[in-house]
Amino acid sequence: MDDKLGLPYWAIGTALALGSTLLIGDPYIVSVVNLISIAALTAVSLRFVMLIGELNFATAAFVGIGAYTAGAAVTILDWPFLVAILLAGVVAAAVSALFGFVTLKTKGPYFLLISFAFTEAVRIVYSKSMFLGGNSGMVGIFPPLALDPWMPTFIMAVSAALIFALYAAERSDFGKILIAIRDNENVARTVGLNILLIKVACFALASFAAGIAGSLHAFANSVISPGDFSYLLAAFALAYVKVGGEDSILGPIIGAVLLVSLGSYALGLGGQEHIFYGAAIVLVVLLMPHGLVGLVRRGRDKLAQRRA
Amino acid sequence: MQTAIQLIVTSLQIGAVYILFSLGLTLIFGVMRIVNFAHGHLFTISALMVAYSVPWLAGNGFPVLLAYLTGAAIGIAVALVIGFLIYVFGFRYFQRDMVGSFILSIGLVLLLDGVLLKLFGGAVRPVPEVLSGTVNILGATVTTQRLALCFAAVVITGMLYLALTRTRLGKALRAVSIDHEAAMLQGVPYNRMAMIGFMIAAGLAAVAGALIAPVSIVSPAIGADYLIKGFIAVIVGGLGSVPGAILGGLFVAAIETFGGFYFDPTAATIAIFVLVIVVLLVRPKGLLDNG
Repeated sequence: MDDKLGLPYWAIGTALALGSTLLIGDPYIVSVVNLISIAALTAVSLRFVMLIGELNFATAAFVGIGAYTAGAAVTILDWPFLVAILLAGVVAAAVSALFGFVTLKTKGPYFLLISFAFTEAVRIVYSKSMFLGGNSGMVGIFPPLALDPWMPTFIMAVSAALIFALYAAERSDFGKILIAIRDNENVARTVGLNILLIKVACFALASFAAGIAGSLHAFANSVISPGDFSYLLAAFALAYVKVGGEDSILGPIIGAVLLVSLGSYALGLGGQEHIFYGAAIVLVVLLMPHGLVGLVRRGRDKLAQRRA
Repeated sequence: MQTAIQLIVTSLQIGAVYILFSLGLTLIFGVMRIVNFAHGHLFTISALMVAYSVPWLAGNGFPVLLAYLTGAAIGIAVALVIGFLIYVFGFRYFQRDMVGSFILSIGLVLLLDGVLLKLFGGAVRPVPEVLSGTVNILGATVTTQRLALCFAAVVITGMLYLALTRTRLGKALRAVSIDHEAAMLQGVPYNRMAMIGFMIAAGLAAVAGALIAPVSIVSPAIGADYLIKGFIAVIVGGLGSVPGAILGGLFVAAIETFGGFYFDPTAATIAIFVLVIVVLLVRPKGLLDNG
């Protein structure tokens, strides 16, 4: 594995993507592009915790916490836009650090199920909190008027920056420790690493990104309700990760682009979103366990072999 | 005092269903080391089949009890067939692969959710009363139907417990869940045991679905709520432990009933969650973990 981050590729890719957002005017396409950016960021956050070998369904809860923090900061406290977004990430990270400190002592199925239960419990809390709008949620979460035409570009830029930050973290020494924990926690412990602290740091970092994704969701839709943040959100993010391929950071991004655009197309045909996502996950897991990225890699290796 | 008895009786009723549910989850986990989120859908399918066939059969001249028994047989059969298909074409390839099997089951959940909603619609289906009347236990009143439900759940749990502890098959299943490689060395056919374990669990979910249909309102979303509670029950009790599943099921039902009565249902749900966290803090692998 090379230690280069491939910066030129990232710069060119991001610039192209950002440039293309400036060209779209159709409001429907704008909403799909926003969805893609936010979905990619959420999926990358989910994948980041998968580096330590845990499946984190609480991603959905932290996206929700971020969205509600941003919503409350803007509509109730009248705080500025950028402060609200930053606060969303910080609150999500703080809650996740507390939650992680208790629950990351457990592993595998226990962590999975507890993060799942946490998502549902948090959702009940919003729907019973009257100052957060109860079951009907919060309305009127608008970005500043001057920024409105630039929203898709802004959302994509923030998502890209955070995705790159998580990628840099994965490629750093910290990322290598995370992989070591996934491969064998006890070996990592014998060299004097504080496993729980590292796990919590990984979890909080991913949740910071999830919280920001939530705040972007709130500003993009200007309406949020408890129903938006059920465990299905994490299940969809998992679909993006699996379809794209979890071995590479490009996987969740490709998966998000592909599934969100196909999904909104299917929705336009009157098809059922759930059947579509469910079938996608089942087929991919059964037929190509390493996702699209894995398929491309294998094809490339085969070609290289034939040439040699 | 009467309130307390009434609440205890109610929590036993709810607990009976949670126990059937969590026994299935714990059995699948024990034998295959996988977490199956699609388990709730077998329950839903069975309940939906009962809810659709019983009014139809009763309308065609069947006596209600016979209609119910036929409907329950149909529901359980359909759920078992679907469970078999899920196993043969899906989970068979994901034994001992926690993440892979979980992702597969989430895919199945979304798929079955969509299909059930499309086939049956979101509307709730009432089932005609099968057994009428109420029974008085120490001053608490219970409908006969719910009492029959509890009785059936206790009988099934007892039979399963006896089967697991006394029969050859049960010993083989337990051996596999303790150490599958050692069990295979002793000549236990692991793949067959995995399938039998999965199908027994599917059967438990199907029976629970058929039992709950007459005392509840049936909709395609009915499984999700029971599934979450069932999972919490097995976390509290310890994954893979049969007594743990029973204890956990009763525990969750008691908090839900008492919390719901003295405070409100939301507080009860949050209390359940807090208690799970406390249990995990003290014992990260559940109260009665054996693995």
